[in-house]
Amino acid sequence: MAPTLVAAAIGAILAVALLGAAFDRRAVAVVVAAAVFPDLDAAASLVVPGATNALFHAVWLPLVAGVALYWDTAAATDSRLRARFGWRGVRVAWVALAAALVAGIGPDLFGGAGANLLYPFHDAYYRIDGRLLFSTREGVVQTFVALGAEGPGLLPFPSPGTTASYPIPTWVNPDGRPGLSIGADRELVLVRSGWQLVVVAAGTALLAVRVAQARRSGESDADRDRREVA
Amino acid sequence: MVSTVVHAAFALALAAGLLGEYYDRRALAAVLAVVLLPELDSFLGPVMPGAHRTVGHNLVFPAAVALLLYYDTRLRSVSVLRRRLARWTSERSAERWIAVAWVAIFVHVFAHVALDWVHLDGVNALWPLRDRFYALSGEIVLSSADGFTQTFVDVRVDPATGSRQIDAGAGGTTATVHVSNPVEPRAPSEVADEPVDRRFPVASAGWRLYLIGVGLFTLVARRLQSADPRQ
Repeated sequence: MAPTLVAAAIGAILAVALLGAAFDRRAVAVVVAAAVFPDLDAAASLVVPGATNALFHAVWLPLVAGVALYWDTAAATDSRLRARFGWRGVRVAWVALAAALVAGIGPDLFGGAGANLLYPFHDAYYRIDGRLLFSTREGVVQTFVALGAEGPGLLPFPSPGTTASYPIPTWVNPDGRPGLSIGADRELVLVRSGWQLVVVAAGTALLAVRVAQARRSGESDADRDRREVA
Repeated sequence: MVSTVVHAAFALALAAGLLGEYYDRRALAAVLAVVLLPELDSFLGPVMPGAHRTVGHNLVFPAAVALLLYYDTRLRSVSVLRRRLARWTSERSAERWIAVAWVAIFVHVFAHVALDWVHLDGVNALWPLRDRFYALSGEIVLSSADGFTQTFVDVRVDPATGSRQIDAGAGGTTATVHVSNPVEPRAPSEVADEPVDRRFPVASAGWRLYLIGVGLFTLVARRLQSADPRQ
């Protein structure tokens, strides 16, 4: 899995960008929690073989959540979510779903360890990494999408393997296989490379600036909104 | 260079949250212009060796602009900038453009200079005060065997003399470093028979495509969102 800290930072960036008037401490906490949620499948891998980057990194859970959310807020006549939590609840739910997909699964799929997108219906990790450029000599060069790529994958992206052939080590589960390995060396990677450090720094600074902005415009403002909207 | 498309996309994702009530097409266009502008230092390359990643990619200019802006709009009793802007447009839009300027400085530092800092030879971070390229690379790991380790800034103490050496990725100077770009695809010192190949990268790694995706996603999501009830 890509560092959980990076998922949290991108979750924070999405929270600041998308929450709008629903921005407050609790809403940010919910969105960041949704961003790191997919990484919990590393803990599940202690029991379920090869669950890391598969169980909660598949598209099915967000898909079901998205359909349910759309049904409740747009298609059904009276929304239970809106009745219970108001306009804010609906906004926070959508942004949290976006964070789980974009911040939770995204960094693993794009150049990370890989994400098993169709698990458990079709078992193959996918990893989108390559280059896209325009060269005056070679024209458009593109290596992200590989049609007819070798490997177990069904989608047109390079696949590093299946849950059986490609165990992903994490600090929860150092060998990636079921069972507690009590004595093993554990490594918790906080930041794996330069760009991830930039993302973490940018996310932290962004959140700090936004919280300062909110404080300056006044807490009373937010309280009044909450009363109006609810 | 990390492709300008990547800078622009990450900048949009950051600016979307900071612009707040000033979020609209004009403000985004201004932010994008600030992201594109520093790349023009590529065109200085033919007249000033090592200009790319130096003139437009340092931390001194944004710091100076931020200080000036702070002094003028916050400390001075009458702000020259606010008065000028108000005369050209209106009082309200003067406030708006000052807010956009702050966002532009933030975005320039984090989405442009910082992302180039971790790429190839890095950036000439302290130019014009000091001519030295810095490239940031490394990782931060918490391990049961070695505890907390970070390799971004290397601090070494010579056991014999007790003197400390700090390696923060310092490289060459404008005289020795050339970061290839479409204007100057190879270092001027390099002589090759092959015809010139100008390369315009969009995304040269998975994570760069990812940042482009995050930026586009933010734009689309903002577009599809229902309006805030207080507006």
